Amino acid sequence: MEGEPVASICAEDMEHYRDLARQYARKSINPILEGEHSDGNLSLLPEKLKTAFEIGIAATPDESLSGCQYGIWGGATGETGLMPSLLLLSTIAETCGGVAMCLHAQGLATHLILQAKKKLPLTPVRAGLCLQEGLYPPFLGTIMAPDQDAPARITTVAEQKNNRYTINGSKSFVYSMHDPDAYVVFARVGEQWGCFLVGAQEKDVARTDAGVRTGLRACVVDHVDFDHVDIPLDARIDDGDARGLVVHAMSLNWAGMAAIAVGIAKGASVASRRYAAERYQGGRQIEEHPAVKMLIAGAEASTATAETSLLALRDGNLTSWNNLQRSAAVKLSVMDLCARAVTDCLQTFGGYGYMEDYGMEKRLRDVTVLKSAAGSATYLKQLIFDIEKEGLR
Amino acid sequence: MKQSVEERIEKLKMKNATEMLNIFGRLLVDNREMSLWEHDTKTLTWGVRRWRRKALKFAREYIRPLAVKADLDPHGYDPKPILAAAARNGFQTLMLVPPLGTASMLPYFRGTAFQIAVIGEEFATECGGLALLLLAHNLGVAPLLLSGSFRNYFLHLIPLYFKSFVLGKPDCMAFAITEPGAGSDVEETEGGAKAKLVTTAKRTPDRKGYIINGRKCFISDGAIADKITLYAKIEEEGIESWTCFLLERGMPGFSLGRSERKMGQRAADATELILDNVFIPNSNIVGKVRAGWANNRNVLNYSRPVVGAMALGHGRGAFERCLAFCRNTYLGPKRLIEYQDVQLELADMAISLWSARSMIWHSCKQFRCYQSASASAKVFASDTAFKVCNQAMELMGDQGYLHKNGVERAWRDSRLTQIYEGTNQINRLALFEHHLSTDFGTM
Repeated sequence: MEGEPVASICAEDMEHYRDLARQYARKSINPILEGEHSDGNLSLLPEKLKTAFEIGIAATPDESLSGCQYGIWGGATGETGLMPSLLLLSTIAETCGGVAMCLHAQGLATHLILQAKKKLPLTPVRAGLCLQEGLYPPFLGTIMAPDQDAPARITTVAEQKNNRYTINGSKSFVYSMHDPDAYVVFARVGEQWGCFLVGAQEKDVARTDAGVRTGLRACVVDHVDFDHVDIPLDARIDDGDARGLVVHAMSLNWAGMAAIAVGIAKGASVASRRYAAERYQGGRQIEEHPAVKMLIAGAEASTATAETSLLALRDGNLTSWNNLQRSAAVKLSVMDLCARAVTDCLQTFGGYGYMEDYGMEKRLRDVTVLKSAAGSATYLKQLIFDIEKEGLR
Repeated sequence: MKQSVEERIEKLKMKNATEMLNIFGRLLVDNREMSLWEHDTKTLTWGVRRWRRKALKFAREYIRPLAVKADLDPHGYDPKPILAAAARNGFQTLMLVPPLGTASMLPYFRGTAFQIAVIGEEFATECGGLALLLLAHNLGVAPLLLSGSFRNYFLHLIPLYFKSFVLGKPDCMAFAITEPGAGSDVEETEGGAKAKLVTTAKRTPDRKGYIINGRKCFISDGAIADKITLYAKIEEEGIESWTCFLLERGMPGFSLGRSERKMGQRAADATELILDNVFIPNSNIVGKVRAGWANNRNVLNYSRPVVGAMALGHGRGAFERCLAFCRNTYLGPKRLIEYQDVQLELADMAISLWSARSMIWHSCKQFRCYQSASASAKVFASDTAFKVCNQAMELMGDQGYLHKNGVERAWRDSRLTQIYEGTNQINRLALFEHHLSTDFGTM
């Protein structure tokens, strides 16, 4: 699973990506967040996500759209490294973590589809990734051998019959944009992993909304059931063993989520600085109060540390165990740092921080979901320990 | 005969190993099979124990069935039936002892706020918003009690309690101190001196009362309260002139502003009060004119342990639901609770909650609540509760942030306890305000 590290991008390019994301946030996301809605007016979201495809921020396997290569986790990620996507996600998340998560989920599925070295039977525009079953993503033992209870085997199974695969099983917590056209599905094929592209509209594919959630509500989260879904042989994305793609998907997912958390924390820090300079208490601006200074400074230090950890991932080889371990460590520490930063920033607002109008409670809800989603702290610690114990590189 | 490891483990368990002790040794071992809740309850005096059990039953019968709806659709449920049920059960009249109120006599004189703190934990375990809805009433009553004025007792407090418990027609009370430009200011001495207050009382020319103008915000139960204890400064004076007035629904010039949209504790409203030339007669002055600041600070001393207890309830609710989840959910062939890493996390949560409970019970086990103990208990319990809720959410993985599992609701509810009744920063400073010229220890 080793590969050459990719080259970094220059400062000018970085500013370009940041600027692109800022413009998108200003023109497309801010109108969603106006008005009295706890997570913005989400009925406007499909139209604004369409804009993301048009300007090339949202990646898609459809080559006729500009995001195919240079969108978040688009095909060019192999050349440019993770930096452009990390910057885009982080900057968008400064305004809305939910929209950033939408783009990340779309990009993640797209990225895996683009790994196929052959023409696939369908070219979706919107896609979602189906990897997790139950509570957590696969543990190391299951990544190594999906048919082993280590501690829980993969129950989604693909069986080859004649010229087709039949997929059976259930996947949980599938993040995507609204109405995905297809799913990238990881399943067990005998004793190995397989990765398949399955049309979301297939009659035996059933989506169930995960229900009311704490945050990241701009993003759709479904449980997806596959009941004897027949797909052609060439819908298989991998070349015979998709274990590398599992590692790839998990690393990229955590990197993206960490970038979003950093963005949310940065947004919270900026908002609290601004509020502290405007709000008077006890006859002076609250930024003059030591308690507020301590909170904001602590939050900014946590955010800076989180960002440094995140950027250490930018040039890693996504399919290596080493990188998976690092991504897990980054998710573990970045989420904690960012959640602490956001809650401290919220505290500077006093009662107003708890009200929906100032957007701080939304930031806290969003970052808290990121903490629990796709691998909790306990799971990540276990994985980090196991990779080291097994001496995997 | 050689025993298997399982048999040896069974034999080594404390309950079985105790059999090796003699009869007196066995008497000194507590091997009773009961929950931690039951163990804690048995440490209480009879009166408080009775209220704890009663509150648990009430919370399960009345609060639990309403909790989800009240959180998801706070404007779509009617709070009156649950308020009436709480009153019928005596929960709304705990600030006085029989025959005027319902608090158990002996425990009341050992800790005035203790019984309310105990029921607060039980209510908040099921739903933070509904707990606030019920308990904010006591906060509204507290200025009447702490005014020390027999005139207020006879004119307002006793009729209120009589109507509530005996006639079963409760009036809901609320407490209004926060103003749009003065939140933490009114909860701390230095801030208070510099606070920019807008709610002003002006004596009428005939000296029969006061005309009040201004606004109050974030008032819990503000939208449903029949009576509100409200603080206003006298004309152009500062906060030292603060006076507490009893505002009644329907008084001309009094109207409601916006109800805030909150992250949690959504079942209880937080409403703005607008006062436009509201006439309040002299009979509705609570305590003495210009005694409002002292009265307000003392109310906070009594209410902070209760807020800590509510926070503890949020944490306990998250813990209990997480525990049930871990018992019922399988990871591979084993239930989650059988994994040691899960047990470690759950144990940490239980220990945190236990320590918070000990601190709260300790802080309000005296007739008069005092600032340092109250503030410390509130800070520690609310920080602990938020931490425990976070742990519970994380332990449940992606299930943790789903509303249907109830843990995220407790998490949202618990965050507010770090903010209201003075932010935790203000409460930390309260310790030094109280002990600036004395020491914490004995040196």
